[in-house]
Amino acid sequence: MIRLVALTRREVSRFLKIPRQTVGAPLLETFLYISIFGAALGSRVGELHGYEYIVFVIPGLIMMAFAINAFSNNSSSILQQKFQGAIDDQLSSPASPGQLMLAFTLGGFLRGLLISVITFIVASLLVDLPVKHFYVLIPALFLVGWFFASLGVLVGVRAEQFDDVSFAQTFVLQPLIFLGGVFYSAALLPEPYQTLTHFNPVYYMISLVRYGFLGVADISVWLSLGLLTAATAGLTLINYRLFKGGYKLRR
Amino acid sequence: MTSSSAPSPAPALQIADLVKRYPTGTEALKGVSLEIPDGEFFGLLGPNGAGKSTLIHCSTGLASPTSGSIEIFGHDAVSDYREAREAVGLAPQDLNIDWFLTVEETLDFHGGYFGMGKKDRKERVSELLATFSLEEKRNNRTRELSGGMKRRLILARALMHRPKLLILDEPTAGVDVELRLELWHYVREINEEGTTILLTTHYLEEAEQLCSRIAFINGGEIVDQGSSAELAQRFGVGSLEDAYLELVGRKELSRAHVGADEAEAGA
Repeated sequence: MIRLVALTRREVSRFLKIPRQTVGAPLLETFLYISIFGAALGSRVGELHGYEYIVFVIPGLIMMAFAINAFSNNSSSILQQKFQGAIDDQLSSPASPGQLMLAFTLGGFLRGLLISVITFIVASLLVDLPVKHFYVLIPALFLVGWFFASLGVLVGVRAEQFDDVSFAQTFVLQPLIFLGGVFYSAALLPEPYQTLTHFNPVYYMISLVRYGFLGVADISVWLSLGLLTAATAGLTLINYRLFKGGYKLRR
Repeated sequence: MTSSSAPSPAPALQIADLVKRYPTGTEALKGVSLEIPDGEFFGLLGPNGAGKSTLIHCSTGLASPTSGSIEIFGHDAVSDYREAREAVGLAPQDLNIDWFLTVEETLDFHGGYFGMGKKDRKERVSELLATFSLEEKRNNRTRELSGGMKRRLILARALMHRPKLLILDEPTAGVDVELRLELWHYVREINEEGTTILLTTHYLEEAEQLCSRIAFINGGEIVDQGSSAELAQRFGVGSLEDAYLELVGRKELSRAHVGADEAEAGA
């Protein structure tokens, strides 16, 4: 346990050292989205699923902040430590592959959690944000956070240069998140876009998180929870194997 | 270091038929066998690319051996990695410290990875910062340190968990004279207190000064080993340097020859 705590403290202390970049910037970004899409454009959009547009987008924005921060923290932290060679200090320690994987995952998970909790608190002060299904919301956000934290670990371990990390974020992650329905309800999309959206894993995540907050879901809550749990578990298992085998970590 | 452990029956490091083949096909180690008894100051010499670092990486879990076995104080480095790694402290060649961490965190986290309790870590950090004259830099980020301080921090980090075997991979490469002598002083003291040391270096003088036994490694194989005098004698030359040059096939570079040649030319 001491080992896991030390490994995780290392990851957390890294992002707390540069709070302007790791906490401040994402918070500002989220609130820019809230002001543009919620306050400025929202009055023109009207209600969605019976909610003001600003209330409708906030759950997706909280989830997006969690996902992107969990991902980018872990992918950059791991790649940077590989670059500096500093990761050898952990790799040559008696820490087990499972402990290493957990700690690297937890770093970004905790950063995403911190940002989404702050966003939630501030958003609740600005608008009347309901939490309709608390017991769905908590596991949903946990799974989304863990999924993207794990994805960050996977990309960070595989990456050989910083371009690999920014490619994954800009060309894969952001389109999936934006097109998954953060800013709109996929039910409003014309065909074939509506069907295509069903192949986007983020669609299920947003539906689930929105259900937790607002009580409205595009698709079955159980189906979404099941798929998300399976995907998160699968990704965690892949990462565990990478750490156990030392892929691109040990020579 | 107050804990003076009784000499263990198992050697500090025992390597048998170690082969390391990289996915590229390069065979960095071609069946190396080596034994370092507990308490020895052992030198590993060889040209660049001879396999020194690979041997160290395999012994510390940074590379996985293709075949063969490595035991550290009787613990297999692969199957019994936890006990094996607990016994080893590694001061690598590169200054691989994390820029984001402070000096204290670098040591404290390392202690945590090795399972040391909070109180123990705190005491040990203060002890090492005093030993290596880093007290004033305790709360500074590591990137603010000078090269010499980084070197000392790396050595302190390797010693943090009180390893019984200290591996020093070219600790004095690119280091100025004062720091080199300072580092020699530290490691000699550590060895006298009972820690086994494996040192790789390019500086033959360093090996001669510090090591009781030396092995030559070349092309992924241990070519010879013994004390510096034994090696010189076996190669039929006057110094460890000449023995080394014989080994790498560059005896024309010998400084003994240079002197003789000049004398001839002058005649």
